[in-house]
Parts: sequence; structure tokens; C-alpha cells
Amino acid sequence: MRPRLAIVLLVLPGAGFIFLFLAVALTITALQSVGVLGFGREPGFTWEFWVALFDRQFLDSFLFSAKVGIGSAFGTLLLAYPLALFLRRRRAGARFIGSVVKIPLFVPALVAAFLILNTMAFHGVINGVLLGFGLVDQPLRMLNDKFGWGVLAIQVWKNLPFQLLVLASVLATIRTDIEDAARNLGAGPWQVLRHIILPLSMPGILIAVVLVFIMTFGDFAITRIAGPIYPTSLAVLMHTKALTLSEWNLAACIGMVIMVASLAFVGVYARTARLLQGTAA
Amino acid sequence: MTALALPRPAAGLPRLSLGVFLTALAAILLLLWTGVPLLMAVLWSLVDPDKPWSYPDFLPPSLSLAQWKYVFTYSSIGRAVATSFTIAPLATLLAFVLSLPTAYALGRYRFAGKETLKLLILLPIVMPGMVIALFLSRAFDMLGLSQSLFGLVLGHTLLGMPFMLRILATAFEAIPQDLIDAARNLGAGWPALVRRVLVPMVLPGLFAGAIFTFIASLEEFNLTFVIGTPTFETIPTVLFGYLGYHFVRTNAAVVSIILMVPSIVLLFIAERYLKTEYLSSAFGKL
Repeated sequence: MRPRLAIVLLVLPGAGFIFLFLAVALTITALQSVGVLGFGREPGFTWEFWVALFDRQFLDSFLFSAKVGIGSAFGTLLLAYPLALFLRRRRAGARFIGSVVKIPLFVPALVAAFLILNTMAFHGVINGVLLGFGLVDQPLRMLNDKFGWGVLAIQVWKNLPFQLLVLASVLATIRTDIEDAARNLGAGPWQVLRHIILPLSMPGILIAVVLVFIMTFGDFAITRIAGPIYPTSLAVLMHTKALTLSEWNLAACIGMVIMVASLAFVGVYARTARLLQGTAA
Repeated sequence: MTALALPRPAAGLPRLSLGVFLTALAAILLLLWTGVPLLMAVLWSLVDPDKPWSYPDFLPPSLSLAQWKYVFTYSSIGRAVATSFTIAPLATLLAFVLSLPTAYALGRYRFAGKETLKLLILLPIVMPGMVIALFLSRAFDMLGLSQSLFGLVLGHTLLGMPFMLRILATAFEAIPQDLIDAARNLGAGWPALVRRVLVPMVLPGLFAGAIFTFIASLEEFNLTFVIGTPTFETIPTVLFGYLGYHFVRTNAAVVSIILMVPSIVLLFIAERYLKTEYLSSAFGKL
């Protein structure tokens, strides 16, 4: 063991740099949301911005962000979980599939947005194929649509490999003897899945879902690109309020909402990760 | 004994072909899922502006590099590439210098709160980027760091640090204590220990951490958009301009490829030649 001071001095440059910046950002947001820090107005403590925050536009944006977060998380899971189960059996070709499916992980988020935008566009290849097979009479409008299908598609495409890696590593820790024992005792494949694999992989599922939720709930760029004009996501609303309307105090309130929601889920993630480590060890 | 009497080929053959069929189906669907969007981007970047590509043509009638020439002549992409590749190495270097002592402590010493610290270090990548960007920009404005290259390097360093820190810490952790003890017993002082043991053992981790930090900087959008534009354009902010309501498809295709190729090449190298622990340590506990 080293003296405490030496460790503190060693930890300081890296951790200090991170926490200094985050603390500054967090403090400015918090102070601005209650008016103590005012840019362009007389500073002074007030709840007026928090009271003014809850209008129709904010609630619609909150619901939109929640929908995109939950929709992306579970939409990705719907594809990733069966795929992870499929890849768990070491079939011939599983390696090839595994590396093909990982490609979007290497693609930057904005590029992923373009790739999917380009595919789903009015004159994109999906509409081309649908027209070609006579499934639709005229091209479907799938981007900047009111529901946000375009945003969901981009997020699912981008996050699928990420969830797959998490799920695959959790499924790999489930020992096959338990499965074999259940099979020996007469359980069918569905029963094995429902009563053994699914419960044992639950912490992994939770982590996979929470991670994607955190990364999509506060999203700015992809919603701005492929989302509807109204409602927007909370991050887009915050950005507009701050930089277009110069309502920095209201923007700070929205920032606090995004941050608190995300950090709550980070907490869930941290607890589950620790739990999972406990069972794996 | 009875198992031997089962008609094996009859039971084995259909199952095998079903498995092969499913695997083939999955492989084809996934190739379409990842391949079609990528292929479309390449094709759209090569569309000949004189012979437009539209339904029902399955492939562009003719290919040309005209779009590439156009983008490099009439847009700010040339300068954006230069800016991106100036910020990224500087941010990587700064992240390395700041991370080195911290990663050493995290990797080699045991102290109270270490696990919590390792989790908290991930905050810059899990916290919503636009919130950090917008409210850091207030502080940057006050300090005169907005619209400056130094401010951008600081911001990119912040967002790349978690990768550098976690991966370097994993690398330090992986050095067996026996090796250090043996070197000491044989009379190695600090300089020899560092040069002969620590550096060679940590180098792959450093390499991985640098690649991740570099890529994080190349891809960073929110902070650059808020504190850098319009003075500084990077590749992502140029791409953002071509997307959205002013969707300029061919230009966006060209810039997408410019942004994507370095990431894919670097991550491919990282994945191919480095231990997988580094990849997982970059993303968290798993």
C-alpha cells in the first residue's frame, strides 16, 4: 500500500480533469435553471422557469424522447436477443455472421444516420423494391414522419451490434450443464428458453436495454436529422430554446430533466453490472 | 446400448440441413441489413451528375468521380478534414498525458472508492452529449475558449478520456507483480523497470487507448457544433449540414465515406491485433 497522498496525486490529473469539466457543466445548468446565474437577465433565485417549463411543447418532447428511448431499446432487443441465441450454438458460419453483424459498431453515428436515411428515403432502395414488387402504388414517406420511424430505424441499426455483444457475453456465462439437465428431465426447447435461459440472462437484458435507452434518450443529432418537425426530442428542444430563442434558463431546466433521467438509468446500469459481476465470479 | 440401434442418418440428416438453411438465411439477411446501406452510400457518391439515378434503374446508369471533385472544390470539407486531423492527435496526446498517472494508480494500487471511480470516469460518454456541450459552452464563453482550437482540443480530450483511462488502467493491471518483483530483485532501478518492463507491457494498451480516443475525437459532433462552428468545421459538422431538411444526398454520401473510412480502418486494426479485454474495458464492466 502506498501513502494516501501519493495515490491522490496520481489520480488527480485524469479524474480531476473529467470531474472539473462535468462539475462546471452541471453547476451552470443547475444555477441557470433557478435563475441564480442569468445571462441577459437580472440574476436572482426563482422557481418561475420550472413553473413555466411544463407546457404542451415540453410534455410532447418528453414523451417523444421517452418513446424513442424505449422504442430503440426494445426494438433493438427484439432483433438482438434471438440473434444472440442463434449465435450461441457454434454452428458453421456463426463466426462469419458475428463479424458481419458487428460492422455498424464501427460506423460513426452521423454516418449511420445517412446510411439509413439514404436507404429509407422517398427515392431510396426500400421504396424501389416495394414499388418493383408492386406492394405499394407510390413511395412511402418514412423520414421526418410524425411518429419517428426514421429515428427508430437509425437507432436500431446503430445499436444492434452493441446489444448483441452484451447479450452474447452474458449468454456465454450460462453453463450448458444446466440446460442439458433440463433437457434430460424432459424439457422442450421452449421450456428451456422460458425457464432457464431467459431468467438467467435477465441482468444482461436489463443492461442492454438500459444502455441503449441512455444513449438514445438525450439524442440531438439523429432526431434533428430524421425526426419530425414537431414534436422534437428534449435535446433538440433545449438546443432551440438556448441558441435560437435565447431562453437559456428554460433550456437549463430541460437540461436538468435530461441529465437526471439519464443519471437515474446510469445508476440502474451500475447496480446491475455489479450484480452481474457477482454472479459471474 | 439402445442408443446405437436408433436410425441415425434419418434423424441426423434433416436436422443438419435445417440448421444450414437457417444459418444461410440469417447470413443473407444480415448481409443485406448491413451491406445494402453501405453499398448504397458508395454508389450514391459515384453517381454521374449528368445521368441522374432514379427509379426504375436498379443501378446508376454511369459512374463518375464528379461528386468527389465537386465536394472538394466547392465545400469546406478540405479544411474540415485538416481541422479534424489536427484536433484528434492533440486531444489524444493530452488525454494520454493526463491519463498516465491516473491509469497507473487505477491499475496498480488498491484504494477505497476505486471501483466507484472507475464507473464515474465513464460519465463523459454516458451523459447526454448536447447537455454537456450546451452548458460547457457557457463556461467556455466566459473563459474565451469558444470558437478556439484550444477549446475544441480540451473538449475532445474530455470526451476521449474515458477510453484512454480505462484501457490504460486495464493494461497496467495486467502486468504480473512477479515480473516487477523479479526485475527489482535483479537490481533494476526505476528507469530500467520503466523502460524494460512497464513500457513494453503497456504499449499495446496505449495503442488501443489512443485509437479509441482518436476515433472519439474524429466522430465528436455535439460539442464541436456548439463551441466550434462556424469558425471551425470538422467532418461531422459538415456532414450534419448535408443531412436533415436540406438533404443533399450525393454530397452527404461523399462526406459519409470520408468520415467512415478512418474509423473502420482504425477499429479493424484495434480488433484484429489487440486483446479483446481492451474493447470491453472501453465500454464498461462486461
